Amino acid sequence: MSALAKVFNFFSRLGQKSRRTQFFFVLSSLPVLLAVFLRLQQTLSLSRRNITGLFFYSNVILPFYVQFLVLMLALFYGTSIVLEEVEGRTLPYLISRPLPRPSIILGKYGASAILALVMIDIGLVASFLILNAERLGDLSFDLVLLRDLAVLDLGLLCYLALFTFLGALLKRAVLFGLLFCFGWENVLIYFPGLTQKLAIAHYLKSLIPQPPSSGFAFLRFNLEPSPPLTAVLVLIILTAVFLAAACLTFSLKEYLFEN
Amino acid sequence: MTAAIETQKLSKYYGNILGLSEVSLEIRPGITGLLGPNGAGKSTLMKILTGQLRPSLGRAFIWGEKVWNNHHLFGRIGYCPEHDSFYEQTTGWQFLTGLLRLFPFSSAEADERAERALDTVELLADKDRLIRGYSRGMRQRLKVAQALAHDPELFILDEPLNGLDPLGKRKIIRLIKDLKNERRTVLVSSHVLPEVEALTKDIILIHQGKILASGEIHTLRDLIDSHPHIIALRCERPRELAARLVAEPYVLKIHLGGQPDSLIVETNNRDRFFSLLPELVTDMGLAVAEITSPDDNLQAVFDYLVGK
Amino acid sequence: MTIREKGYHHWDGQFIERRRPWWPITRLGIRLTFKRKFFKFVFSSSLLPAVVFLAGIYISERLDDFQHMVRRESILLDIAPKYFGTYLTADFLLFMAVIILVFCGAGLVADDLKHNTLQLYFARPLRKRDYLLGKASVVFFFLLLLTLVPGLLLIIFKLIFSGSFRLLLENPWLPLAVLAYSLLFTLFLTAYALLLSSLSRNGRAVSLLIFGVYLFSDMLFNILYGIFHSPYLGLLSLRTNLRLAAVPLFGLKPPLGLPWGHSYILIAVVIVLSALVLAKKVKGVNVIK
Repeated sequence: MSALAKVFNFFSRLGQKSRRTQFFFVLSSLPVLLAVFLRLQQTLSLSRRNITGLFFYSNVILPFYVQFLVLMLALFYGTSIVLEEVEGRTLPYLISRPLPRPSIILGKYGASAILALVMIDIGLVASFLILNAERLGDLSFDLVLLRDLAVLDLGLLCYLALFTFLGALLKRAVLFGLLFCFGWENVLIYFPGLTQKLAIAHYLKSLIPQPPSSGFAFLRFNLEPSPPLTAVLVLIILTAVFLAAACLTFSLKEYLFEN
Repeated sequence: MTAAIETQKLSKYYGNILGLSEVSLEIRPGITGLLGPNGAGKSTLMKILTGQLRPSLGRAFIWGEKVWNNHHLFGRIGYCPEHDSFYEQTTGWQFLTGLLRLFPFSSAEADERAERALDTVELLADKDRLIRGYSRGMRQRLKVAQALAHDPELFILDEPLNGLDPLGKRKIIRLIKDLKNERRTVLVSSHVLPEVEALTKDIILIHQGKILASGEIHTLRDLIDSHPHIIALRCERPRELAARLVAEPYVLKIHLGGQPDSLIVETNNRDRFFSLLPELVTDMGLAVAEITSPDDNLQAVFDYLVGK
Repeated sequence: MTIREKGYHHWDGQFIERRRPWWPITRLGIRLTFKRKFFKFVFSSSLLPAVVFLAGIYISERLDDFQHMVRRESILLDIAPKYFGTYLTADFLLFMAVIILVFCGAGLVADDLKHNTLQLYFARPLRKRDYLLGKASVVFFFLLLLTLVPGLLLIIFKLIFSGSFRLLLENPWLPLAVLAYSLLFTLFLTAYALLLSSLSRNGRAVSLLIFGVYLFSDMLFNILYGIFHSPYLGLLSLRTNLRLAAVPLFGLKPPLGLPWGHSYILIAVVIVLSALVLAKKVKGVNVIK
């Protein structure tokens, strides 16, 4: 078994047991609860507003994943890949094994990615099915779900790679990650022209339809989308670049423990 | 016999702070004690030898190969880190087998090795308990177990006796001494002098990042002839004995009066003193209750060398 | 020979009343926060709104010089109590306050839980309230620097630039309003930060929690408001609550037309909840009495 696979197996098993996995599972189930809530509301006619399942899914659930959940999961798991070992002082156990350093990063990245992807995908699929149960079997509908799953998964992998790199490079990676996601990217998407392309979120949002302006105004933004193929390629390339940078940083950097 | 570990003018700086300064040494198979106070540079040296830190200047080799970013070496090295850190949410068994599976062992072999290692450190009965429920001594033993489970040729043990009770220490000391019998190389660090003395006669003294001395304890002692040895005796008629001893040219000082039956002798020739003493005692018909050499240990050696 | 027990013992000696026993904890916390990389830069950036509002005060007194740039009816130029309320309830200010909480508040209790240092504290003549006050004062210090000091300075600069005390004569309660809101803002966010810090031993997780709850509260409000259009859902949002609390103090328009009293109740609930949780979590564990 390759070094990468060994590290992946080890941390997959560790990750499944941890409390934070349970917490994030609960967090990623919130959209499902909201979907159930909306369904109940429709059934019991609790609200005067008639919101269709697809509308709620496209305008609330999906943006909630794209603008919040994916970012929080990627930020926590990504920065934990290296920082957890440094803060917990368990890094010597890994470094003193016959494992190439990049395999440690990539193996942990894989383990974190699988966990996060499972959380996101289960939540998204469950929300979609609850909200659009009457349209199951409609191929165009199923394709919408598959498209959104693919976009979210790609986005998660890209952000996870970025935060893995930040975690390998910086001690205060969480802070920089927060400022990047909720500061830099939130501001940039309102700028015209090429500036928008300096945000990962731009490429993700280029791949999913923009929500209409009514209803949930906080999700509105002035997107000038890139072509879908370009967006996909950029996301894949960025993921690869960030992972390579993370591996290089981890191979060259010394990690000192605070006394 | 070729050296397992070799360093050539190895230096390590943390910004402006000196961790190690021009450390050149060779460590051959057997047990070598690395002795120094806290902050002397012991852990820094061990971290360089285990690939956690990169030398600022100079070089470090294990079996002739550079250490930094050379993961191939680590299949033959067992490292017991100084810090009390584990994956707390795992059991002792899961921790050990998980780390063993990072080596090129099959699952069955990893399990077998884990069982053997846990048995060696007497943790087999507690293997299914969560590590966060382990006592300090159990945690220390688990660290030692993960260092030896893969049967390495080189052991680098950073303060392996920390946190152990006297019985636990004896067991680990015996375990480490058994490793020597199998022609392995063991580098053990400690700041507790009796521990290193119990383990080995080959020591390296390190202080403020520099190697002060290395070699056998007794050879080191001979190096400091300029500093007298102190021998304390308790006997009847200490003043009579003092009168006879003061005539000897290698007896520098005699101190009386601490207790009515004691005297303290300073000599610059221990061997001659101890060959004379039985003769004197027999001639005088003295009953000697106690002879101790308060400075015949590493503390005294160290204190002399650092000029305390 | 007496065998002495080793280990940390809970202090069972006399508590001599000293002034400010919490001060060493606060001083250390402030020092450590300032030592953190980029904190000074981030804190300086958080004062940008104050600079902008100060510029507004200046422009309002020199309208003729700037009339080609500024419309006379611009809100920036109406230097009334609402102006100061707008500064204190600005979204950017709250965002930066949360970032500062991440710097100075995330590890306050979490790190002590992680490294098991609570028993070190309570083996000294220190009461739990002194410990909590010391920790809370670290956050107080930075948040009051962000709110109270610029708020009062803006009033002072208005008086200086206008050359008269008209603002104060017409609104004598204004400095008190700034003080009251700053204290409320600070107290609420301090309770919020300490509550979350006591829930985990992982400082990074707490950092994410501090930011995530702030963000999520707003998102949840917007989602549910989109469905139900009930203004009371605004109470779910941290941001809306703080804005509501400023309404009676600065005469601001209440967001969503909500009664402002509800926000005070909710803020009080959060503070009490935080106190209860902290009282439970903060104890000298493994202490031999």
